[in-house]
Amino acid sequence: MTHIVTDNCRACRFTQCVSVCPVECFHVGEDMLYIDPELCIDCGGCIPVCPVNAIYDTVAMPEEHAPWIAINKQKSAELPVISAAMDPMPGAEDKRAALGL
Amino acid sequence: MASKTVLGACPQDCPDTCSMLVNVEDGKVTSVRGNPDHPYTRGRLCVKVNNYQDKIYSPDRVLHPLRRVGPKGSAQFEQITWDEALDEIETKWKAIIAEHGASAILPYSYLGTQGNSQGLHVGDAFFNKMGASVSERTFCDSGSCTAYAITIGDTAGVDPEALALSKYIVLWATNPLSANSHLWPFIMEAKKNGAKIVVVDPYKTTTAKQADWHIPILPGTDGALALGLMNVIINEGLTDTDYVEKYTSGIEELTEHVQQYDPETVADLTGLSSDDVRKLAREFAAAEPAVIRVGVAIERHAGGGQTVRALACLPALTGAWRKPGGGILQLPIWVFPMRWDAMSRADFLPENPRVVNLWKLGEILNGENLEGPPIKSMMVYNANPAVTTAEQEKVIQGLMREDLFTVVSEHFITDTARHADIVLPATTQMEQEEIMFSWGHFYLTFNNKAIDPMGDAIPNTELFRRLAARMGFDDPHFRMTDEELMRNTIDWDSPTLEGVTFEDIKERGYVRLNLPKTEEYAPHAEGNFHTASGKCEFVSSAAAGGNFVIPLFRQGYTEQQMGDAITPIPEYIPPNESTATNPTLGASYPLSMVSPKSHAYLSSSFGNLKHQQEHNGKQSVIMHPDDAKVRSISNGDLVTIKNNRGSYVAEAKVTEDVRPGVVFSPVGHWRHGSEANATVQAILPSTLADLGGAPTFSDTLVEISLVNTAGKSIAAE
Repeated sequence: MTHIVTDNCRACRFTQCVSVCPVECFHVGEDMLYIDPELCIDCGGCIPVCPVNAIYDTVAMPEEHAPWIAINKQKSAELPVISAAMDPMPGAEDKRAALGL
Repeated sequence: MASKTVLGACPQDCPDTCSMLVNVEDGKVTSVRGNPDHPYTRGRLCVKVNNYQDKIYSPDRVLHPLRRVGPKGSAQFEQITWDEALDEIETKWKAIIAEHGASAILPYSYLGTQGNSQGLHVGDAFFNKMGASVSERTFCDSGSCTAYAITIGDTAGVDPEALALSKYIVLWATNPLSANSHLWPFIMEAKKNGAKIVVVDPYKTTTAKQADWHIPILPGTDGALALGLMNVIINEGLTDTDYVEKYTSGIEELTEHVQQYDPETVADLTGLSSDDVRKLAREFAAAEPAVIRVGVAIERHAGGGQTVRALACLPALTGAWRKPGGGILQLPIWVFPMRWDAMSRADFLPENPRVVNLWKLGEILNGENLEGPPIKSMMVYNANPAVTTAEQEKVIQGLMREDLFTVVSEHFITDTARHADIVLPATTQMEQEEIMFSWGHFYLTFNNKAIDPMGDAIPNTELFRRLAARMGFDDPHFRMTDEELMRNTIDWDSPTLEGVTFEDIKERGYVRLNLPKTEEYAPHAEGNFHTASGKCEFVSSAAAGGNFVIPLFRQGYTEQQMGDAITPIPEYIPPNESTATNPTLGASYPLSMVSPKSHAYLSSSFGNLKHQQEHNGKQSVIMHPDDAKVRSISNGDLVTIKNNRGSYVAEAKVTEDVRPGVVFSPVGHWRHGSEANATVQAILPSTLADLGGAPTFSDTLVEISLVNTAGKSIAAE
């Protein structure tokens, strides 16, 4: 079991999750982050700090997010680790507003 | 909608004691999270407690007193009132005391709920006043505490946060990513600053996978490795001679003693290479500073106590204590100004009470090796012995006794509560107030009450007030309020609390003790060990007094100790059960079993919650492909794990993360509803280790065979 990043992160990439993660299990892609399921310890620290509610515990997520399990696994294997927070993407606040968050 | 955030504290038996933010809406806990302001918690909790609200509002919560109406063990109960429950307990206990004496009553408790006033000692004053059998609760770290006491004294050791300053971190018999995860960021910080991370563990844990070097030692041989390190450090002249001369005693004897533990001999004993023994010794000695973080698992074999003694000597040998972040870290509890005596009230005890060790519960309940009257009643609180104590079949046999009156205070109908005559409803942490020490950091933490108690549930403190009133105990101790009891646990005049009030901690949620800053904290830079000599005693002067359990783990009682002889110099005591040391047993049961903590359960707590069950998966046994192949076992097969004490069934997980001949089976699964109605405790021994009554769980041989589709075991080839 693990935690996953889902579509809400796309074009936002706020990265508060990276600061709270104790194990550096986030990997950074072009427009969003992914979690390495082998490394995630399910501490859940990232969930409440995500401004756009993009992160879920796979044990307690809406069914529609299930495809993201495989995507996180695959992308985290390909992409570099992000070990420190970075600036959100341009337009992140707009997307957040559009999400009503 | 009325919403608020309450500052809480995690009540689980874990070194991290997290400061929590509890969100409450309309009188209901909706979520919990880590307190981001806390310097150690840093805004995270863990997989065990992230959904704590699910525990509070579980439909399975015990919310009213219950009385058994079916056969023993059937879990058939009727709801009764508190008055009815107390009437029955009072009547039964007074009759037992009149007929057999109070020692026929046994308290069984531990740290299912941790905290100064509701935790380990909450019932001690009551049972001491009663004159019940005194329970030795040597479940965890007791062997280590005895070893520490006679080697370096009751020191907190290294500040956990100072691990960030270490240059060489040896994580020995510990898996912080599962069981101490808030320490990890400090280790990561050290790593970024160039520290090397070494893990000594028979299993390639998630922590070991993150380390620079994993040393897969054979179970129960850690003492040999520690002595081998001393051999290399001394013989290669890697000691800090100035430190050794000023702040230790017994170096001549130690030098002579460790000659027998040359790297080649140690390699044979530990299953490692002699090159690795040398390399670890040299790197540990060269680093400035190096630290050993020891886990509670270290003591769980025949020579567990002497192993901890050897480890406690190592940092003094190399002068690792000179700098912050150097030394050894095991149990920072000693830094807290606790009033253990005021909590346990051993002064209430009668002359010569009967003392029993709770690891022996199976024997005790069945009247084996028990002097004096039989146990006629047992009261269980903060504990679940049916799935946490060794020799499970024997424990269940005892719990099934028709003439045993069993009272259990609980949140759920656990495997123990299923066997109760009376079940009493206990509050969860969110329904009570508590101040908390930690055994993993230097902060006092406060748990404010977030919601009113559910149903008829009451805190443990109130439980023992009610019981004391019924038993006619009129000492003012039994009339103390919850706040008075909390205040009573701490010496507020201690310099470590100068300028700090109870109210401050309650309002802020936590306070760091008044100690030197982490980057300046080097408590033994100039010796000052808490021994009689003030030195690190390689040859222990206190060993002459014989083996003992510190009063903290035996209701404050200091007399009638075990007293068996202790070799004053750290020695290697081989495992009771390994194919090398016990080939006869090994012929029938050739696999060494280690039973670590589960990732998502804390002991058996949360073992009944769906969320944690899904994270943990089924009860499993982890084995090497070579061991699986010769037994025709494939990944995912159901297998029977068996030895001369019992058996249970689990799912095989086949992986090269373990070495051939060694298997692992995490604890915490509940017995009822499991395959074969048994858990790993069925095969665990109740044999005690060399010091402090520590258990010998990691010193156990088993055989494993496939369960066929008809549910019968097929004998291994």
